[in-house]
Amino acid sequence: MKAALAIVHDAAATGSERAQPAVRVLDVSMQYGSAAPVLSSVSFDVKQGAFLCVVGPSGCGKTTLLRMLAGLIQPTGGAVEFFGSPVLEPSRDRAIVFQDYTKALLPWRTVAGNVSLSLEACGVAEPERQSRIGQLLATMGLAHAADRYPHQLSGGMQQRVQIARCLAQKPRLLLMDEPFGALDAITRQGLQEEVARLAVESGTTVVFITHDLEEAIFLGDTVIVLAANPGRIAEQIDVDIPRPRAQLEARENPQFLSTRHRLFGLLQGH
Amino acid sequence: MKARRINLEAILFAIGLLVCWQLFAEFKLISPIFFPSPIKTLATLYERAADGSLWPPLAHTTLRMIYGWVFACVCGMVLGLLIGISRNARAYLEPSLEFLRPLPASAVIPVAILFFGLSDSMSIAVIAFGSVWPVLLASIHGLAQIEPRLLEVAASLRLTRAQTLWKIVIPAAMPDVLAGARVSLSIALILAIVTEMQASLPGLGQDILLAQRSFKSAQLYAGVVMLGLLGFAANASLVWAERRLLRWRPK
Amino acid sequence: MPGWIKGWVLPVLLLIGWEAGSQAGWLPLDSTSRPSLVYQAALDGLKDGSILQATWQTLEAAMLGLAFATVAGVAIGIMLGLSARMESATRPTLDGLRPIPSVALIPLALMLFGFGLMLEATVVAFACFWPILLLTIAAVHGIEPRLLEVARTLELGALERLRKIILPATLGRLMIGLRLAVAISLVVAVTVEVVINPRGLGSTMMAAQQSLRSDVMYAQLIWLGLVGWLLNALTHRAVRAWPGGAGAPA
Repeated sequence: MKAALAIVHDAAATGSERAQPAVRVLDVSMQYGSAAPVLSSVSFDVKQGAFLCVVGPSGCGKTTLLRMLAGLIQPTGGAVEFFGSPVLEPSRDRAIVFQDYTKALLPWRTVAGNVSLSLEACGVAEPERQSRIGQLLATMGLAHAADRYPHQLSGGMQQRVQIARCLAQKPRLLLMDEPFGALDAITRQGLQEEVARLAVESGTTVVFITHDLEEAIFLGDTVIVLAANPGRIAEQIDVDIPRPRAQLEARENPQFLSTRHRLFGLLQGH
Repeated sequence: MKARRINLEAILFAIGLLVCWQLFAEFKLISPIFFPSPIKTLATLYERAADGSLWPPLAHTTLRMIYGWVFACVCGMVLGLLIGISRNARAYLEPSLEFLRPLPASAVIPVAILFFGLSDSMSIAVIAFGSVWPVLLASIHGLAQIEPRLLEVAASLRLTRAQTLWKIVIPAAMPDVLAGARVSLSIALILAIVTEMQASLPGLGQDILLAQRSFKSAQLYAGVVMLGLLGFAANASLVWAERRLLRWRPK
Repeated sequence: MPGWIKGWVLPVLLLIGWEAGSQAGWLPLDSTSRPSLVYQAALDGLKDGSILQATWQTLEAAMLGLAFATVAGVAIGIMLGLSARMESATRPTLDGLRPIPSVALIPLALMLFGFGLMLEATVVAFACFWPILLLTIAAVHGIEPRLLEVARTLELGALERLRKIILPATLGRLMIGLRLAVAISLVVAVTVEVVINPRGLGSTMMAAQQSLRSDVMYAQLIWLGLVGWLLNALTHRAVRAWPGGAGAPA
């Protein structure tokens, strides 16, 4: 498993790069015309290899924030930096997993074909492409479904395909927009464990958006709570629960419970 | 894989109609000049197939239809693509297209005759002009409603414009384009027949017109049956092609 | 440049190029004529009533054929829509007749009716029958079952049920297909005229071409385009105005 994951992320950072935060969000604001601002003065850093979860109620601007990190939109105020350089447009280094997986997969390509899209974009040539696809599908437990079309798969499987496609980009930053929001509880929990494990073993920096507080605490090294109207940071907490985290035990961990207690009130208050 | 239930009632109904027709003809309840019996019609059809006189006109009409249709599809898809992806092109071209669309294609036949004379080129030009519309409009429509999320995926993967076009835009528009191409083919057949009748070009259209002039009604009906079969075969082949190309679609 | 002006750029440039090119002698006058002459021919045609008379003849045939098709299509469509048994029994026969191109019936209709109005109307009727039939069947299938239950509770007789519920519900949905049927009727009518029937705009255009009056021919072509466009727009309005026709796809 570790060998397979090594192909997911080449940690070729130099010494000075290692100290640099992967992402810096500097006093970012987002306002459309004269309407109320969606985001207001948001600032935080994400360390390399860290797993950051951003939680908040609907309308707090968390999806907007994620799309800014991806480079799909530009903030109206402030700036976003990625490994020291400003983020002005999308990049293969920053992969984004969308919540509406059905719309994000190519319906006319098989599972293997969908994963292949990233490799084609990265310019990977034929024989290598096939072996990479095979490895990625194995990693995500999709090997048996390689020749199926997306509509033939369950929601959880489709989301795995999307994740596999994003991993194929070998991103330095993985952005996930409420990826498990549309799935049932059991599938969600399984995927949470897998993503947590993948992130740790590959060392990829992850920014994970969710409205589910428990999911955020379970997955994250750091949790940021966003308040709504306008979107701003209400609280930022480090979660020191040791990894690997199992679903049952982690949720009974006293630190888990106290963090949950502390942040619950913040979410309710808005 | 689908269970085949023999639709007895349908068979009985169809046979019943034919039998009634046959009886009416036998007992001279309807004029045999205007309504030859089914048996006579089929016999004529068989005769012409047997002595080989059926095939050349069939080939002419079919080829005419296909040439015009292919030309229309290529033009329609390319033009549709240009208009679909460029808002500017749309603004300039769409009003003119909206005006040209309801214009009956057969109305351009006199114009085409002026330029091409009574020739095959005239026929193909008219067929192409008339059949371009469904595939053109379908292409524009297909391009307009591409899932925006897919375009974001393309942006995120930094696909070039050419890659985005080839890997995402065109496959996404395919279902609409193919549906439009199918409608175009039926129009192509109609215009092939019309131009043949008009310009006395060899083909099934001319055949049935000549049959009418010499009051050979069995031949006329046989020709109509043949054209119905041609229409059916053309449509069925495209449905087959569509099914294969769009295998990925949920049922 | 505001949107609506952009749409005029191409036609205006085309007209200017056509006139200039023709005046300069680059375009052969016989076959391409020129806008100034075409305009004159149009005015003449309107003044002496020939264009209007031809237009009326075409529209007359188109509307008559459409009427035939509607009566037959709605009647049969309602029967087949209400009875699944009848529908499955007649389906193969209808599927066999449908692929026959309407124009293939021209010689047949000619044999039966000779030249004139009925020739056109019957071919138009055949062409328009199919979409109307299919739409009616779909419309009947789509009638809110709740409405039929109401009819039964009120113990409405079959005829009353037809008149008060089935027919209005069906016709409302049918309006959506009206644009298509109207367009088909015009196209087929003109086609029959171009090919063989000595009446209407189609045949006058052919006559103009044969007597090398390309100016008259183009004038009538453009006029026909306007008529078609106008008809389309009017039908669109009518569909919108009909209760239950609103929300029809543009």
